[in-house]
Amino acid sequence: MTVTLPNSEAGRAQALDLLGAANTRLVSIFGSTDDNHVRYVHYLIDVNGREYRMFSSPVTGPIPSATPIVPAAAWYERELQDQYGIECEGHPDPRSLLFHENWPEDIHPMIDDVSQVPWAKGQYHFLRVHGDGVCEVPVGPIHAGIIEPGHFRFSVVGDTVLHLELRHFYTHKGTEKLFENTAVMDGVMIAESVSGDNCFSHAVAYCQAIENALAIPVPPRAQAIRLIGLELERMMAHIADVGALCGDVGFTVPAAYTARIKETLLQTSSRFFGTRYWRGIAVPGGVTRDLPSAETAELGRMVAAAVRDFAQMARLILHTSSVQSRFESTGILTAEIARQLAVVGPAARASGISLDVRRDHPTGRYRDINVDVPQYTHGDVLARARIRIDETAISTHLVNETLKELPAGSVLVPVPLSGNVEGLSAVESPRGELLYWVRIRDGKITRCHIKSPSFQNWPALPLAIPGNIIADFPLINKSFNLSYSGCDR
Amino acid sequence: MIGDAVERSLRSPQVLISVDELFSNAAGSRMPDVRPDLLTDEVARRVVAACPTSALKIDEDAGRTHLILDYGECTGCGRCIAAGGGAFRYAQKVTRCGVSKQALIRSWDIQGRAEVVQDEPALSQAAEQIRALVGRALNIRQVDAGSCNGCEAEIVALTNPYYDLERFGIHFVASPKHADMLLVTGPITRNMAAALKNAYDAVPSPKLVVAVGACGCSGGIFGRSHAVIGPVDAIIPVDGYIPGCPPTPRMLLTGILQVLRPFSLRW
Repeated sequence: MTVTLPNSEAGRAQALDLLGAANTRLVSIFGSTDDNHVRYVHYLIDVNGREYRMFSSPVTGPIPSATPIVPAAAWYERELQDQYGIECEGHPDPRSLLFHENWPEDIHPMIDDVSQVPWAKGQYHFLRVHGDGVCEVPVGPIHAGIIEPGHFRFSVVGDTVLHLELRHFYTHKGTEKLFENTAVMDGVMIAESVSGDNCFSHAVAYCQAIENALAIPVPPRAQAIRLIGLELERMMAHIADVGALCGDVGFTVPAAYTARIKETLLQTSSRFFGTRYWRGIAVPGGVTRDLPSAETAELGRMVAAAVRDFAQMARLILHTSSVQSRFESTGILTAEIARQLAVVGPAARASGISLDVRRDHPTGRYRDINVDVPQYTHGDVLARARIRIDETAISTHLVNETLKELPAGSVLVPVPLSGNVEGLSAVESPRGELLYWVRIRDGKITRCHIKSPSFQNWPALPLAIPGNIIADFPLINKSFNLSYSGCDR
Repeated sequence: MIGDAVERSLRSPQVLISVDELFSNAAGSRMPDVRPDLLTDEVARRVVAACPTSALKIDEDAGRTHLILDYGECTGCGRCIAAGGGAFRYAQKVTRCGVSKQALIRSWDIQGRAEVVQDEPALSQAAEQIRALVGRALNIRQVDAGSCNGCEAEIVALTNPYYDLERFGIHFVASPKHADMLLVTGPITRNMAAALKNAYDAVPSPKLVVAVGACGCSGGIFGRSHAVIGPVDAIIPVDGYIPGCPPTPRMLLTGILQVLRPFSLRW
């Protein structure tokens, strides 16, 4: 449920008050403009873990920063400054976030003309750690494997990391701006290309936001097919992650084994839905492909067999002493830090924070079912691996229950193209809470904000690293498995 | 125990896809194909109107009308197939992988109801040199220069037991200094342009560059963004293009090998 208070200066003050309370979690902070080029700031807050509340205020000059109250606001406010030129007074780190040295400081793409942006030569200052024997290790943006780009700056003494600073947004593509003036039916293609391995979660979150804004009744059968896609996407991501964690400790046999299982699920998706990663399936109004009733049993059987195979291998992995010694007590994210940074998804649940959009803010088919939410308290690599193993089993159960009772009827309804409306929707993507907020006018997007779980969680990674040896960094990083493109957008 | 996992793995089924089933197979790619016998002027205009990118165009030249399909811009959304009334269908084979930018474009003479056949372009000089030097033992450095990670997910799949890229003597290497080929994904973002150029300069000559995905080939849906420079060839010279959004592992393998042309795929 969403409550949007009337636009006023008071909205911002109320939001900051609420953010100081114990029962709230910052979901997002973002900007927008109205027809008169007045800038607005929007605070999206989860109250009691059950209700999204949005507070909006017009902005005329600098605004007080929320970061001293909630550290989780830090990146959102830096983004606000980059996109809209809104200065947040009292922000501890006002450096540019989205743009690098090549971008002119005074151009803000959401309010300025960006048809011709000159190349600038700025400077970027990393935090310097001083002391005897302190060395800096720069890594990236191009990494050794087949991975997305980003920069990590380690300050180490010997093998031990004292400090890690992230520098991301190498894959920043101005995606939120790209949505502007896009037809609502075309916007889903952009959403699918925000984070390519979670593309169905992005597509569904986008479609649901449009459907909520336009009050479109999505057919139950389409909602069920979306659930199957979302859960399959989660299984594939989690299975691949557990395998990659094994690969990062040199245990290559299960890494290859789980890669095979993931591929069988991709081929299963391709066989039944014509797409390996569920692209082109979700559209505003429903889904583009139905599942013939004669095929439901076979799909369920194939998914169950693949996941049973994975579960048995996962048990062997967790019983391997060399895996235990590398996973256990490595890269601990404490519950306290996770809460301050409003961490979401598997990383939150591994650090003792019980959050899951499917249970807390259910949409579509999830309104009618119960979702078990596993939780561990150690916050280490092992806990994050266990969360993924447990959730894979839960997802299989959800898919099979849904396939057994697939509602009858159509899978797509038409979308009206009139109206000046707003809507939001969240889904639990494999990486955690993913939320789209859209504003539509006569069938075109005028503003689309993406709250990405990776944008939220990346700042927590450097706080799980100090005290660990640098050789464990790839393992710890993989255990968070955050999206670079999803964060950078 | 380690032995338990190894034993279980040894008992797992053999899944390697045979070479015959691998090349050009378009399963799961969502790439469209045209049935020229069903192509009419009206269908052509309908699919061009339905296409959300500029992959489909109509070209009128000296009284002849041609339908142009540029795979480099196609994201496989499927709207042409929905609007094409049987004249469009999902492709069974994709041979336009690892080819020149020009060869990504197919065209059909609508009145003649036939495809306009092109000549197969010559192998690039670098490709011939590399083939002469190393046969097919190719070292690839993959560079994500702004991708959404969809292409990376499929490139990683090339190493799984179904595709097993190493059976062809192809390896992914960590340093561009060890590479024969750069496999580049993404629309090139402003923030990755310098890093991509540095990586290219670090690859010893002769070297090959393959642009991957709709974004790598044409800029894709991100081409018009203020934060994006454009396709891979806006920054560095490209020897072969692999379309798709994302290209499937089969398309990637077909394309990587096609650049070296160790065998002739039917055009």
